[in-house]
Amino acid sequence: MSAKLSKPTFKPYTGEKARITRAYDYLILVLALFLFIGSFHLHFALTVGDWDFWVDWKDRQWWPLVTPLIGITFPAAVQAVLWSNFRLPLGATLCVACLSIGTWIARVFAYHYWNYFPINMVMPSTLLPSALVLDGILMLSNSLTVTAIFGGSAFALLFYPANWPIFGMFHLPVEAGNSQLTLADMFGFQYIRTGMPEYLRIIERGTLRTYGQIATPLSAFCSALLCTLMYTLWWHIGKWFATTRYLKRI
Amino acid sequence: MATTTEKIKVITEQAKMPPWYLKDLYRYLSAFGILTAIYMGFRIYQGAYGVSTGLDSTAPDFDVYWMRLFNFNVTFVTLFAGVSWGWLWFTRDKNLDKLEPKEEIRRYFTLTMFISVYTFAVYWAGSYFAEQDNSWHQVAIRDTPFTANHIIEFYFNFPMYIILGGCAWLYARTRLPLYAKGISLPLTLAVVGPFMILVSVGFNEWGHTFWFREEFFAAPIHYGFVIGVWFAHGVGGILLQGVTRLIELLDAQEDVA
Repeated sequence: MSAKLSKPTFKPYTGEKARITRAYDYLILVLALFLFIGSFHLHFALTVGDWDFWVDWKDRQWWPLVTPLIGITFPAAVQAVLWSNFRLPLGATLCVACLSIGTWIARVFAYHYWNYFPINMVMPSTLLPSALVLDGILMLSNSLTVTAIFGGSAFALLFYPANWPIFGMFHLPVEAGNSQLTLADMFGFQYIRTGMPEYLRIIERGTLRTYGQIATPLSAFCSALLCTLMYTLWWHIGKWFATTRYLKRI
Repeated sequence: MATTTEKIKVITEQAKMPPWYLKDLYRYLSAFGILTAIYMGFRIYQGAYGVSTGLDSTAPDFDVYWMRLFNFNVTFVTLFAGVSWGWLWFTRDKNLDKLEPKEEIRRYFTLTMFISVYTFAVYWAGSYFAEQDNSWHQVAIRDTPFTANHIIEFYFNFPMYIILGGCAWLYARTRLPLYAKGISLPLTLAVVGPFMILVSVGFNEWGHTFWFREEFFAAPIHYGFVIGVWFAHGVGGILLQGVTRLIELLDAQEDVA
């Protein structure tokens, strides 16, 4: 069996050349860290940030639909470069880890210490389990199609269960002002924000509960379908941006 | 065992820190240190004066503590752009055809450092102070485009990363043969795309003035920022261009222990 394996055609660098390439790797690591914290975080915050900022936005219908859908974009684009060219199966995890670092720093120092929002109210969600599975499926399958279908679906479906242990407690019911509401809603009413009015907050609608109390699985499976398409689209966007062309003029 | 002069020379060269390909390492680290001090200084200033003087743009204190800072920021970034871009242009290499391979390798390292410092500035503008904008505008009534966070985010942070991106572009164009012969498409995308984020500030301010005083990040008036930041993926192409050329240059070098 092993005789069928092709022999590597390149000779690994040794000595100073190896040190040069290793130093270059470290420089790229630092570059990538800040690049993806800055860029992925801005992209994420300005598209689905409100669901991530506030505990009372984390509903059962929109949050599990839109967050994975936007969260899979940069991971797909970075995988397209790192896996295709360098066989590094960490594009998704890199992006999502960078996003987590950026959001946590901002929530602590920008929300909690500057404007006194309780950290429980602004705690970020996590996409790490989703990203690890996405990278794992790409590594094992080496296939865009398989990763888009199974990885994209898993990315969306894992989101809600991965976050349930963090945010489930805020969905507990409480009674206040003769009304029943969630603990998360109590946070919202106690800490008045300009983004709070109900004509701004995209809240859960009752219609999806026509089928009983399964709003979240319906949203998650809808997100899974959309993520398979979004993954493929962003894989190609990543490929397009990673052009090596030189132009005569701009 | 005797130690010959040649051996001493080799030992000295090996122990030299940083090595020749990381000649600009200390400047690189200094840039990180200076930028960190500036951005943290801004955050401390906001913490000290945001609530006490930054909530009402018609108050006299607002002029003293915030509009003066705005004027300083605009002046500083204009001067910094002129000085840094001017220096890179006027000290350009006019003999790129005679560039030694070792020097070209070193310059690729320096270009990577320039881009790295650029991405560090992108971090502060795109991550920390961007989200802080949401936090501040939840508690402060927006009665001016020049809010206590906008003055730092839009009039220092955005111009700063654009200047540093421009520095990286100019460094490549004036000091590396491949980038001098043709204009690198991914490098240009990675610099010009995020520049369009600054342009989107106009749409953002117009929208917030015209119909949308509240802060709500997923609103369409912010989509210009989003599209601009997608161009950061051009860095993937820069990486591929750099690695391909470095492999060519290293393959042509003699092996050294």
